[in-house]
Amino acid sequence: MNVKFLNPFVEAAYEVLRAETGVEINRGELRLEQGMYVTDDVTVILSLVGAVEGTVFYSMNRPAAVRFASIMLGESLSELDGLAQSGIAEIGNVITGRASMKLSENGYESNISTPSLILGKGASISTLDYPRLVVPLVTDAGSVEIHLALREGKRGLKTPQIPVPNVKAVNG
Amino acid sequence: MDVKFLNPFVEAAVEVLKAEIGVNVQRGSLSLHQSALTTDDVTVLIHLVGQVHGVVMYGMNTQTGIRFVTQILGQEFTEFDSLAQSGVAELGNVISGRATIKFSQAGYASNISPPTLISGKGVQISTLDFPRIVVPLQTNLGELTVHLALRENRNGKPEEFVALTPAAKGS
Repeated sequence: MNVKFLNPFVEAAYEVLRAETGVEINRGELRLEQGMYVTDDVTVILSLVGAVEGTVFYSMNRPAAVRFASIMLGESLSELDGLAQSGIAEIGNVITGRASMKLSENGYESNISTPSLILGKGASISTLDYPRLVVPLVTDAGSVEIHLALREGKRGLKTPQIPVPNVKAVNG
Repeated sequence: MDVKFLNPFVEAAVEVLKAEIGVNVQRGSLSLHQSALTTDDVTVLIHLVGQVHGVVMYGMNTQTGIRFVTQILGQEFTEFDSLAQSGVAELGNVISGRATIKFSQAGYASNISPPTLISGKGVQISTLDFPRIVVPLQTNLGELTVHLALRENRNGKPEEFVALTPAAKGS
């Protein structure tokens, strides 16, 4: 995967986590993974489509998720209920949205999907032939790992990914 | 979720399963779910971005997955290895791609993300505030369950993300 897509995500994650939770963040060591990712307790998964395309995961364990949600929502949560889940998904959404803004400033325009949340440890997630760049972020509230499986996509969002017979409908 | 997004997917799935695998498909009864999906052995997850926005998931058990790829790739599989995973992901990709062509013919432009494959039973996948329509498709090689959590996004832009605090708002 292209490393130039990394920094926008790291910067966005720093900015968002600092603004939303006020915690100090330390970046762990980067690594590149080819195989399957075995899920931690909570994984937020989003896709990018456009000039950068692929998938981003944010993974953390349950205590970290509960702490992040508690700090963000300003109330002490004891379990990962619907509200907390939605808060965690929203962090992923905001970081990815901000990163995609930075990417578009660099000339890579892309749109992001809605977040999906995977709850449960031990499932394997494969991005198939996309290798993953993994960025661990360590904070006082717990660690978050960002997994980036991105590549340069087909230019311009209006380009269909497979030929569409009725192109007028797409552009019109 | 809007039911008009259902039929393009069902038609696409029926066409693709027939063309790629050579099976006839019977549609089971639809259901609408608010809660999280509990995965079967194999789940292919694909996001849609554009005027139709959301996520599509294709669930099946390992046996069905193996039988499907055996047909698609024309070679016997005994275990669900990485080639088989890639084949099943491609099946989801082709069905979703075909469905988005149908959407675009109906005036809804959207793009699909690359597929992600989730292996492992009993994990929960939440689409948060998107309700899911679940369509079981029965074939004589096994059942493929299609989960659709889609919504219309007429201005063609993805939903603006909501800054939770003023400080997190755009720079």
